[in-house]
Amino acid sequence: MEIKNPTPEQNKIAVLLDDLSSLESYARDLFSFLPLPVCLVSSIGIILETNPALEKISGYSTEELIGNPLENFIGKLDANRLIKETLEKGSLSSREIVLTTKDKKKIYVSASTLLRKNDQGETIGCFMGLFDLTAIKENEQDLHKSQSALLNILEDVVEEKGKAEEEKNKTSAVIANLTDGLMVFDSQNNLSLINPPAEKLLRVKKDAVYNKSPDELASLTDSFKPLLTILGKEIKEIFRQEIIIEDFTLEISSVSIGASKNRTGSLIIVHDITREKGIERMKTEFVSIAAHQLRTPLSVIKWALSLLLEGDVGELSAEQKNVIGKSYTSNERMITLINDLLDVARIEEGRYLYKLVTAKLENLAQAALSSCREIAAKRNIKLEYQKPAKALPELMIDAEKITFAIQNLVENAIKYTPPGGQVTVSLKYDTNKVALSVKDTGVGISQEQQNRLFTKFFRANNIMRMETDGTGLGLFIAKNIIEAHGGQIRCQSQENKGSTFSFSLPINN
Amino acid sequence: MSKKILVIEDDKLLSDLLGKKLKDIGFEVAFAFTGAEGLASLRANKPDLILLDIVMPEKNGVEVMEEMNKNPETDLTKIPVIIISNSGQPVEIKRVLELGAKDYLIKANFNPQEVVEKVIKQIGD
Repeated sequence: MEIKNPTPEQNKIAVLLDDLSSLESYARDLFSFLPLPVCLVSSIGIILETNPALEKISGYSTEELIGNPLENFIGKLDANRLIKETLEKGSLSSREIVLTTKDKKKIYVSASTLLRKNDQGETIGCFMGLFDLTAIKENEQDLHKSQSALLNILEDVVEEKGKAEEEKNKTSAVIANLTDGLMVFDSQNNLSLINPPAEKLLRVKKDAVYNKSPDELASLTDSFKPLLTILGKEIKEIFRQEIIIEDFTLEISSVSIGASKNRTGSLIIVHDITREKGIERMKTEFVSIAAHQLRTPLSVIKWALSLLLEGDVGELSAEQKNVIGKSYTSNERMITLINDLLDVARIEEGRYLYKLVTAKLENLAQAALSSCREIAAKRNIKLEYQKPAKALPELMIDAEKITFAIQNLVENAIKYTPPGGQVTVSLKYDTNKVALSVKDTGVGISQEQQNRLFTKFFRANNIMRMETDGTGLGLFIAKNIIEAHGGQIRCQSQENKGSTFSFSLPINN
Repeated sequence: MSKKILVIEDDKLLSDLLGKKLKDIGFEVAFAFTGAEGLASLRANKPDLILLDIVMPEKNGVEVMEEMNKNPETDLTKIPVIIISNSGQPVEIKRVLELGAKDYLIKANFNPQEVVEKVIKQIGD
């Protein structure tokens, strides 16, 4: 409106109006320029004003926004709540809501509002500013993903740890329950592991030897000395070296753990070969006796014949020489044959084992007895058999050899008991063993000779006077047989009164 | 003076046969029938050579040699020993050779003449 000849008041108003309009345009420009989506909403949720940023994020045009309800793009529930709370509180900040764009895309936004009043102080609606949370949400999701990935890893780690623990337990159980002794020296050559068999074989207690150096160990216990003599301070590698500790023969092997440059320690294996050594020795003794017994009579024949042949005991006629010569040759054949047999036995030496079967001692005793009845009757000896009070359990034994042992005891008893005497065989079942005894009313053995009874080729003085044939081997072999079964053999005797030979066999063999 | 041979051998007939052969050649021969007897005899008579059996009652041949080696100051270790045995176990042969035996003869594989030759080889006749 153009006013002619304006009054100073009118001029003043015109200036103010100009200022106002420029302020209004400033506000509108700022509103449009603002990169944040902003809108003015009436108290009943109708959009009154909008800016390009809101149009951009929502996908709606200005016309589609202005005059239309807010719920079109933030949903009825959120729209109502936001307006209601703003009217009550005056402002809201950072409410997370979901904005649905024109093409139905969901966008997470954070909404802040401020109550808008007119000049008269009446509420006309509220401003609402939105902040696009997409990037933050994506970050958050990434974060969630990383977090759950981490959790998964953590779970895996826990699981792996459990598995490792289980493996460790298994390994510990294996190490502890090995029959071989096992020790580990660490990179500083201190003892870092010893299993129960090694403790037992080396006569030490774990707590006393842990973390000790070879020097300390040697001063600590005598049983370690032979071991450390072969291992050295630097715990060198060795393979199957034998050491003897008290009655035990131990086979020691040592290997480095880790690469040669990066040695992390040494593993020592202690293998008890006492039993093998015992069997080896027994076998050697057996073959030795067999060799001796077979060859000696042939040697006598050979030597006698060769003296005859060489004329050392008088000249022979040609005919005599011929006969003796043939005998000599034949005897030589026999010697060769026995030498061959012995060689075979020697080859077998390393594999010598008893043939174990399930058998009842009672049956073996009866078999042995029946084979002796005839000579007992001939010598007018009463042979008696006493049944065990309690039935005997079956045993894992070498039946043939045990029978031999029983037979030997019974035959001895008969042989060394004067006519009219008695031999009694009885069986007994104890808690963990069975026992057989052979009691006679014979000549007995003097006290001082009793301890040599079971040695090789021993023959007591009184029986040497009595007779007779005998190798002095029977009891020695019987003892070896019984002991090989883990049993014991003993004798109680009084000279001229009689003897009782008895042996026991463990049941759990 | 003829040289003294001690035969420690538990088989009487073998001893007799070997002894006859040795005596015929001119050796002086003493006999022992157990290891213990042998030890007593060799301590008392200091023979020039011992023919020693292994498997015997009352100390076997190995034990006899161990006893002889026990006291090095008593010249017993200097007496040459030839083993005459029929057992012939490798470990046993190894052991007596360690203990200083000069030879190990398996009786069944040698006749008396051959044994005498071994003796002569050691100490002359």
